Amino acid sequence: MSTETEPGDVLLTMSGIVKTFPGVRALDGVDLEVRAGEVHCLLGQNGAGKSTLIKVLAGAHQPDGGEIVWQGKPTTLGSPVAALRIGVATMYQELDLVDGLSVAENIFLGHEPNAFGFTRRGHMRAEARKLMRRLGHPEIPVGREVGLLSAAGQQLVSMARALAHDARLIVMDEPTAALAADEVDNLFRVVADLTAEGVAIVYISHRLEEIRRIGNRVTVIKDGRTVASNLDSHTPTAELVNLMSGRNVETVFPHREANTTDSSHEVLVVEGLTRASEFADVSFTVNAGEIVGIAGLVGAGRSEVLETVYGARKADSGTVVVDGKRLRPGNVPAAVAAGVGLAPEERKSQALLLDQSVANNVVLASLPEYSRAGFSDIRRELRDARATLERLDLRPADPRREVRTLSGGNQQKAVVARWLVRDCKVLLLDEPTRGVDVGARAELYRLIHELAASGVAVLLVSSEVPEVLGLSDRVLVMREGRLLTEAPASELTEAAVLDMVMEGSEVMA
Amino acid sequence: MTTLDERVAQNGLVSRLIVRPEIGALIGALAVFVFFSIVADKFLTAAGVATWLDDSATLGIMAVAVALLMIGGEFDLSAGVMTASTALVTAILAVEVGLNVWLALLLSLVFALGVGALNGWIVVRTGLPSFIVTLGTFLALQGLNLGITRLVTNSVQVSGMRSTDGYESAGFVFASTFQVGDTPFQISIVWWLGFAALAAWVLVRTKFGNWTFAVGGSAPSARAVGVPVRRTKILLFMTTAAAGWLVGSINILRFTTVQANQGIGLEFQFIIAAVIGGCLLTGGFGSAIGAAIGALIFGMARQGIVFANWNSDWFMLFLGIMLLGAVLVNNTFRRRAERVRR
Repeated sequence: MSTETEPGDVLLTMSGIVKTFPGVRALDGVDLEVRAGEVHCLLGQNGAGKSTLIKVLAGAHQPDGGEIVWQGKPTTLGSPVAALRIGVATMYQELDLVDGLSVAENIFLGHEPNAFGFTRRGHMRAEARKLMRRLGHPEIPVGREVGLLSAAGQQLVSMARALAHDARLIVMDEPTAALAADEVDNLFRVVADLTAEGVAIVYISHRLEEIRRIGNRVTVIKDGRTVASNLDSHTPTAELVNLMSGRNVETVFPHREANTTDSSHEVLVVEGLTRASEFADVSFTVNAGEIVGIAGLVGAGRSEVLETVYGARKADSGTVVVDGKRLRPGNVPAAVAAGVGLAPEERKSQALLLDQSVANNVVLASLPEYSRAGFSDIRRELRDARATLERLDLRPADPRREVRTLSGGNQQKAVVARWLVRDCKVLLLDEPTRGVDVGARAELYRLIHELAASGVAVLLVSSEVPEVLGLSDRVLVMREGRLLTEAPASELTEAAVLDMVMEGSEVMA
Repeated sequence: MTTLDERVAQNGLVSRLIVRPEIGALIGALAVFVFFSIVADKFLTAAGVATWLDDSATLGIMAVAVALLMIGGEFDLSAGVMTASTALVTAILAVEVGLNVWLALLLSLVFALGVGALNGWIVVRTGLPSFIVTLGTFLALQGLNLGITRLVTNSVQVSGMRSTDGYESAGFVFASTFQVGDTPFQISIVWWLGFAALAAWVLVRTKFGNWTFAVGGSAPSARAVGVPVRRTKILLFMTTAAAGWLVGSINILRFTTVQANQGIGLEFQFIIAAVIGGCLLTGGFGSAIGAAIGALIFGMARQGIVFANWNSDWFMLFLGIMLLGAVLVNNTFRRRAERVRR
């Protein structure tokens, strides 16, 4: 218990924090100063280093360089427990709760009040009740199993746990992402109460409107560095967006030989596509040889649109037409048969059989073509897989190798290869460079260009605005389930797109 | 605010009861009890009750320990053969070496705790699935049981406990009977009920119980708040092994003879009883009382079929239906409870 800091005093100073992972320099000298009793907002594009920074602060990552000063004393945060002990609690988007335990048990897990080895259950429950009351929710029964609470309820439990550890600083990573509007109001009320008691909040959100409502100061991060700090939370959007954009993207986007769009041939026509509470009235077309990119925040409905086109989700209304043929909604085999392929965001869990060979993965979507009388024609599988791997420059080009042993970039190529052996007409790419290191990104970009040049209609989704702009011929901007803008990539700037993506959330509210 | 208020309304006694993990087992036990009370006359007599309670008891002790381990997210396939290994160790030390039975029991307990600790240590050190690790110890113990017994006795059994030092007093503790009216009941029933009550209390009332749920439900989350995940798991394996020793001791003192191939196949009965009692195979959820009730269903069905003069072939059919029924009931109630939270 160290409560010598007064509201307004500097609680935490992180300076020059460096963190490298194999192939990536995630943090390259970040500075962050947090004062007691403030809501300090951390702003930056996806990939700017916010997640790594909060993991360092939570003790989950050890920095390679830099200094952390806590309440005036240089400190190392060697483990999550060490961070908790000095008073830093982190609420990740995926909350760290145990579903099978009760509210009270979760709050005191790991530091149960006990006498002679026995939990003082009555005492624990009374304390838990006190904490829930302090958070404005005395109605949540502390004996209730956490797995049976709503997302908002679970968040409150996580917050109560932070308070039970006597946290002086609580990190909240996009806490409103899973909440309904009234629950957001409640969260903000709780945040206001906490800061009034001198607790500091590090608040991460892409929604500028929220930052203006509850934030005191803003720190902007770009490319693993602090580009601005001590900003007022009412700094105009244009200025914030300017600070965040112009990322020094290490990848050079390969020069596009020529725009290969064949506008006389509309391969994919989507009209009025709607799914309740995900997206509404989405219409667009993709021509043969064209690359169309969808920009937007996570949760704007981008991936959902892609998966609906693919048939993995069933549209409530609207049509998807491929090459003049209307697809049956919610039917993946029909979409695949019509020539649609999807490389999903979570390729390890949603696309690949990690323990199988590259060849098996590549022919997975075309097995009927490779079987004779029910048996696989393994020689032909290997031959075609090898040819495709060479075309994609997948290394090592050994179709017998287990997919698990490949790098992220090469795994992505294996997914793309799956659709190439089928001669697909429409390729849907969801976050194609996620988890792919910088060097391999350029190769993937070149590959996507080549695919377009061969006449494939490419529709891609990315959270990284520069990637969408650098790669696409045409850009669609989505926010809150609506298509806001459609424009040629050459007519858009990064700042303009960021501005559209981030400003407010009034569209569907 | 509306969502939070609705949740309070859902907090009535009935809705709290049906999300308990034991609910399926409880309904099943009542059904089996009523069924056999009707079809078999002897089922409800004092002697009948003593018989099926006895059958449930030794299974129940193990089912409760295995349930704790499963809540902690692990399996122990060596639990069945452990009941024979510990009995053999005790018998060989007492009969062949000539130690006092109490000393033999103590050494046998040390042996069991050692094997349990080894199981746990290998699992937490290597991260291998406990299913595989304990399958290894299961086979190794099975081989040791036969090999050593044959080496020492030139046969596949050890007998002669009755004439050893300390047999009377140890037998009184582990294998005597007590009278209820005119009917003798086995002391193992007391051990079973006592152990189940102790386990239930530890599980819901102590720090260690919280940790057990936490390491099985989400080991990374538990570690992040300072729960000693490895120690908790190793202790759970040791608890299971110790329960195996208790059952082994009850058996050797009651029957005074132990076969080297005893106990094989029982490990699945323990797991089945625990699952009927509401344990999830994935860990983090379950109940000690539920597992005890699961064992009771086993005992009632197995003896009920005998009392009804049916062929015991039908037992497995019955068991399969009970298992599916209990799991379906649990699943249905859980799903409904999870739906109302939205």
